Amino acid sequence: MPKSRKNEDTMSTTETSALAVQAATSATGRRFSPLASAKLKQNLRWTNWAPAVITFVIAAALWQITAIANPYVIPTIDQVWMSLIKDADTYWANMLVTGLEVVVGASSGILAGFILAIIMAEFQIMERAIMPLVVVVMVTPIVAIAPALVVAFGFGMTPKFIVTALVVFFPMLVNSLAGLRDVDDRALDVMKTLHASRWEIFRDLRFTGSMPYVFAGLRIALPLAIVGAAVAEFVAAGQQAGLGSLVTIAAAQANLPVTWASIALLCLMGVILISLLALVRKRVLWWSDGAAVGR
Amino acid sequence: METAQPHAGVHIEDVSKSFGPEGARTLVLNHVSLSIKMGEFVSVIGPSGCGKSTLLKTVAGLIEADSGTVEVDGMTVKAATKNKMIGLVPQSPALLPWRTVLDNVRLPMTVNPKANANRNLRDPREILESFGLGAALDKYPGQLSGGMQQRVAIARAFVFDPSVLLMDEPFSALDEMNRDAQRLGLLDFWQSNRKAVMFVTHSVPEAIMLSDRIVVMGAHPGHIAEIIDVPLPRPRTIDVYATDEFRDLEGRVRETLREVMGQKSA
Repeated sequence: MPKSRKNEDTMSTTETSALAVQAATSATGRRFSPLASAKLKQNLRWTNWAPAVITFVIAAALWQITAIANPYVIPTIDQVWMSLIKDADTYWANMLVTGLEVVVGASSGILAGFILAIIMAEFQIMERAIMPLVVVVMVTPIVAIAPALVVAFGFGMTPKFIVTALVVFFPMLVNSLAGLRDVDDRALDVMKTLHASRWEIFRDLRFTGSMPYVFAGLRIALPLAIVGAAVAEFVAAGQQAGLGSLVTIAAAQANLPVTWASIALLCLMGVILISLLALVRKRVLWWSDGAAVGR
Repeated sequence: METAQPHAGVHIEDVSKSFGPEGARTLVLNHVSLSIKMGEFVSVIGPSGCGKSTLLKTVAGLIEADSGTVEVDGMTVKAATKNKMIGLVPQSPALLPWRTVLDNVRLPMTVNPKANANRNLRDPREILESFGLGAALDKYPGQLSGGMQQRVAIARAFVFDPSVLLMDEPFSALDEMNRDAQRLGLLDFWQSNRKAVMFVTHSVPEAIMLSDRIVVMGAHPGHIAEIIDVPLPRPRTIDVYATDEFRDLEGRVRETLREVMGQKSA
């Protein structure tokens, strides 16, 4: 009964987030909880989830047929699965390494991007001064920068953190900057007639107001963080650590199950990151989606 | 001539303002002078492009006049905003969607707190209750109707006890039935909290219903065409609409507006 269990899981996560929205709007929860549960019901209707499931099943079937017909091109799904089970410890260890790169790199890139966006939003001269440099760095292919960084910082974690942070930095900066600038002009007028200081306008208006853009930026940045970590590992593959290194090494040895198992785990990391982000977004940005507030 | 506060209210003296790049400037306000006494409700009405919103923004300190002076209670607009003497109700409610109704109304108290000294700050709860929003204190703006949101915006402008209230077509986004209720609510509240009010509108009945005087503005360039007194007794109720005086006034205002529009096309 794996399928029905999966259904229950989806329901419970959706329910939790619905509860979160209710908690956020506390006193009024009663008023729109019927709305929330109606939405939940709608989400669970088979027309909502079935198309995607069918697509996945077809894709998996096509994969399997191709793999059986061409054993030297791609591995079968069960070969990949067996490899994952057999070498679970190795995969886990490598996943932790890549995970650490993503967490450290992405969070510093996110923080740096957001802080620089604040500085640029508040002082336009800083945007004029720094933005051209940022653009120059960003149009330089990250794949080309990575080897240079390895030369500079060695095969340790540092170049991987830097590459990951660099990749994340730009979408965060651009989106946060747009968000910090895009405030409700009329609310700004109200603040100005109260002689609000810059700090007060930032605190009460810009910071929270920028969050829809910040989360849009995160949605682009987080998957990129995994790309950054993997690319950095490709370059420094000599020291076998991380899923990216695993992919290059296994591919060089034509070890198809290991190659594809590592790829699958990189993919899984991306899915986890995006799902976490969606959960956090719902908690932070409940006010931004009209439907969630029961308009 | 009040001896206690000789300059109480709003004094706009010979204000001109142009917009646009050098060489292609459009004159938006042409030598506009207007005084609003303390406790007086003045509406500004006119065709679009007559500069009524620009005039309001000049008084709010959001736009600086090219020439002329604007004073609020004898102070420059800058000093008046520093002392939080101006309450603004913008065209849209402009509430912060992530704050509860109560916290939205508290906002003017937490901003620029230096100016809170020696001032008759109101209890946000009380003011919201008197606006019929007692049950909505902990709701979020997105859960309220447009009319309720606009009342929250008005409460936000009243709560810190400013001497002047500026309202920029606050009811224009509401449907007609709702608008009447909001107008009466506003009048009711203002009756017991007489501030100098400058109310920009494009609805003739609204201007008559609310005001002591109606300023009719013309466009190209924006100027004051006529100021019409509204001698209807206060407090006013919905019955005012049916009186002969009201209809006469409505005729007069519309006539003036027609003349103003005619000038434009001529």
